[in-house]
Amino acid sequence: MRRLTDDLRHALAADFVLGTMRGRARRRFEALAAGDAELGRVRRQWEAFLTPLADAVPPVAPPARVWRAIEARLAGPRPAPGLWSNLAFWRGGVAALAAACLVIAFALPGLRAPAPAPSSGPMLVAVLMAADQVPRIVVEQPSEGMLQLRMVKPWVDMTQRDLELWVIPKEGRPRSLGVVPWDRDSEVRRAGLDAMLRDGTTFAISSEPLGGSPTGQPTGKVLCSGAIARGRRA
Amino acid sequence: MPQTDDAADRLARLLAATALGDRAAFAALYREAGAKLFAVSLRIVRERQLAEEVLQDSFVSIWGHAAGYARAKSAPMTWMAAIVRNRSLDVLRRGSRETEDVDEVLAATLVDESAAPADEARRAAGAHSVRECLGELEPDQRQSIALAFYHGLTHSELASHLRRPLGTVKTHIRRGLARLRECLARAGVEEAP
Repeated sequence: MRRLTDDLRHALAADFVLGTMRGRARRRFEALAAGDAELGRVRRQWEAFLTPLADAVPPVAPPARVWRAIEARLAGPRPAPGLWSNLAFWRGGVAALAAACLVIAFALPGLRAPAPAPSSGPMLVAVLMAADQVPRIVVEQPSEGMLQLRMVKPWVDMTQRDLELWVIPKEGRPRSLGVVPWDRDSEVRRAGLDAMLRDGTTFAISSEPLGGSPTGQPTGKVLCSGAIARGRRA
Repeated sequence: MPQTDDAADRLARLLAATALGDRAAFAALYREAGAKLFAVSLRIVRERQLAEEVLQDSFVSIWGHAAGYARAKSAPMTWMAAIVRNRSLDVLRRGSRETEDVDEVLAATLVDESAAPADEARRAAGAHSVRECLGELEPDQRQSIALAFYHGLTHSELASHLRRPLGTVKTHIRRGLARLRECLARAGVEEAP
């Protein structure tokens, strides 16, 4: 790439750093700069020129979930730890603790179900676990017609996939509750939702092509699932 | 957040510790720089959700490439902001955006910002220079460059936003950048080739 003139290098690098270069041209520029040390140097020069302009932008505090997601991604793949060590991941505060109590109560025969949930508390809880028994998502129903999904352990990288939430009745085919984010808490609202949520119903999350399953039934890997544990009002 | 030398030194130390795998230093780096970098992305991608993803991806990248910072020889905020800007511009290519939602007030503010010499005490020397150099440009050149830099507008988006022919906008940018380069070389920012 010695044929690039100095002026052309500067023109390309300035266009790249300013951001007026877009799309595939950016990829080509990066490939070019990887093989042309001088172009790489000119690019860093323009970055050093222009990027300090960003100092003029007043800061905007990002929501706390961004840092939680970053931390989760740094953790990377871990050996599957037991439920107890995973309690550290349960960041939902009281609600997640309540969920943990339910799981333990259901896991240990002979223990009675926990005290009835207060009327303001979640009516329904499901802990969706991966195949390695690591809890990934807690599903709660804070009010009728609505589900709240709390990420216990977000996924590392799902950029080319969508997660789809399914409700699976005891007998019958899974019904889609729509696409949900893979890296943060979310809510699902749907008409007729409550009628689908019976005891013995299971929630599942599958990995689907962007936009969700094209067939209306799960087509990708089931990433986690869990049965409904219903709290009773007093 | 004015980038004083103290702040830059602290960020550089945190980046060095991050390169060694120090999670606490990395968390401190995020606390110090996260809000500024989030704002930089937000102006370009203009959707909070997208900006959150950019910030997340960028910090995972910063964690992975912190060791490369030593070689970059730039101010720590410059190095990180370049990563965030690059990522922001990458995600923009996914959707073709309309330009009608460019905030006119914001755009005017940006032009004012770029026209005014840095008045906050002791900005990084680089920021001082580039802002002074921007102040020397023709208003059309300055506005086009500021909109492209802060808002991530392409040549054609600029043309439709400024209601100018595409060729005119391209000329403004090209001449503006060339004059910027001369000015920065005069100011001694450009390394000797």
